[in-house]
Amino acid sequence: MKWARTVLPPVVVGVLGLAGWELTVKLGRIAPFILPAPSAIWAELVEQRGNVLDAALASGANALAGLIGGTVVAVLAALLTSQARWLSDVSVPFAAVVNALPIIALAPILNNMFDSTSSVPRRLVAGIIVFFPVFVNTLRGLREVDPTHRELMDSYAAGGWKFARLVRLPSALPHLFTGLRQASSLAVIAAVVAEYFGGLQDGLGARITSAAAFTAYPRAWAFVAGACALGLAFYLTTLLLERLAMPWKARS
Amino acid sequence: MTAVSIAGVTKVFNAGRSDEVTALSDVDLTVDSGQFVSLIGPSGCGKSTLLRLIADLIEPTSGTVTVAGKPARQARRDQEYGIAFQQAGLFEWRTVRRNVELPLELRRTPRQQRRARAEEMLGLVGLSDFGGHYPAQLSGGMQQRVAIARALAVHPPLLLMDEPFGALDEMTRERLQTELLQICAKTETSTVFVTHSISEAVFLSDKVVVMSARPGRIVATIDVELPSRDEAARQSTAYFDTVTAVRKALRS
Repeated sequence: MKWARTVLPPVVVGVLGLAGWELTVKLGRIAPFILPAPSAIWAELVEQRGNVLDAALASGANALAGLIGGTVVAVLAALLTSQARWLSDVSVPFAAVVNALPIIALAPILNNMFDSTSSVPRRLVAGIIVFFPVFVNTLRGLREVDPTHRELMDSYAAGGWKFARLVRLPSALPHLFTGLRQASSLAVIAAVVAEYFGGLQDGLGARITSAAAFTAYPRAWAFVAGACALGLAFYLTTLLLERLAMPWKARS
Repeated sequence: MTAVSIAGVTKVFNAGRSDEVTALSDVDLTVDSGQFVSLIGPSGCGKSTLLRLIADLIEPTSGTVTVAGKPARQARRDQEYGIAFQQAGLFEWRTVRRNVELPLELRRTPRQQRRARAEEMLGLVGLSDFGGHYPAQLSGGMQQRVAIARALAVHPPLLLMDEPFGALDEMTRERLQTELLQICAKTETSTVFVTHSISEAVFLSDKVVVMSARPGRIVATIDVELPSRDEAARQSTAYFDTVTAVRKALRS
C-alpha cells in the first residue's frame, strides 16, 4: 500500500504527460524538427539502443572519473581547510573563483591541451564542476561540531587529526552527501556538455550534436533520453550510497 | 588520599576587556577519595566553571588544581577522570556499545578487552540489551545512562558530572540518582556533581558545596549525614534538616 502510494502518483503523471505530448504533436501537426513525438523518440531509442548504450557508458565513465576525483580532492581540501583558520580564509574565496569558472570557457582550452584521443579533458571538466558543491558542503559540516563533543574529546586529550577522524568527519557525512547529491547530476551534465567543444567524440554529447547536425531530431532526442537516464542512475546510486554510509539515519 | 584539591583558584574571563567577568574568586576545595561532593548555586555562580577547571577544559587565572595527586593537565592526559554533561553528547554514528568503547579506543585498549568492559558498563546502567542500538533510537534517560557508562568505562578514580539529569523528568531523575549512588559505591569512584536542585544535592552527596554569584565563591560547605541512601532516606528528618540548611545557605 505504502509502496503504491509513493510510486503510483509520479508514474500516473508521467504517463499522462507523455500521452499529452504525443497528442499535441500528432493533432497539432507540429513539425518533427521542433518537437518529435515520444513514439518517434522511442522508436529511435530502440533502433539505436546499442549506440545509446555505448555512448552512455563512455560518458558515464567520464562522469564517474570526474565525480570520484573531484570528490576526493574536495574532501581532502575541506579537511585541510578545517584544520586551520588562515587556510579557510585563503581557500574559500579561491573555491568561489573555481565555482565561477564557466565550464564552457574551459572545455575548448582543455581539449587543446591534451591529445584528441584523450578522455582527460572531459574528466577534468567534470571534476572541477564536482569540486565546489562537495567542498563547500563538507567544509560547513566539518566546522559544525557539537560543543559537547568538543569538550568530551578535549577531556580524552584527543585533538588534531584524531579529532578530525573520529568526530569531524563522521558528523560532516550528512553535509558531504548533500554536496554529492548535487554533484552527481552535475558530473553527468559536465561530461556530456564538454563534448560539444571538441575532443574525443565517443559520448552522448557528441552523438546529440551530430544527430542534430543531420536533422535527425528523434535520434538526437533519443540520446538526450539516454543522458537523462544516466544522470538519474548517478543520482540514485548516490542516494543508495548515502543510506549505506549512514546506517544510523535509516534506523532512527 | 585526596581526589581533588583546589587552592586559591581565581578565574577571570575576557581579562582586560570591557566584558571582563570574574567567574571564580579565591576558591579552595578538597574532595576526599570516594567522596560524593555536589556544587550548588544560582546560575552564574561559576559551578560549571569550577568543574571545567578540575577537568582542565579551561585554565585557572591563578591558583592550583590538583587531581589524583597530579596537576590537572597531567590528570586529563592520563584519563584520571570520566565526565558527563547535561547533554548526553553521544556520537550518533556509533552504536551504544561503540560509544562506551570510545575512551578505551583512545587508550589503545585491545578490542576484546574493550568489548568486555563496554558490556560490563552497559550492564551497570541497565542497558545490556541496547548495545547494538544507535543513540537516536533511545529515550533521553537512556542516552544519559549511556553517557554515564561511557564516563565510567576507563574505571576512572574520579567522575565529573555537569547537571547530567537536568533535562530529565522527575521520575527518571530519581531513578537515575539511586542508580548513580549504587554505581559509585560499587566502583568506589569519587564524584563532583554540579546541580541546581537542592534535593538532588542532599540526597546524593557526602558534602554539599554552596556557591554564590558575582564573583563566584564558596559561601558554605555542608556535610550530609543520612542514615541510608534509599527511598526511606528521602523521608528522613536528617534529609529535611539538611535541605533546610542548604536552602538557608543559598539565601544568605
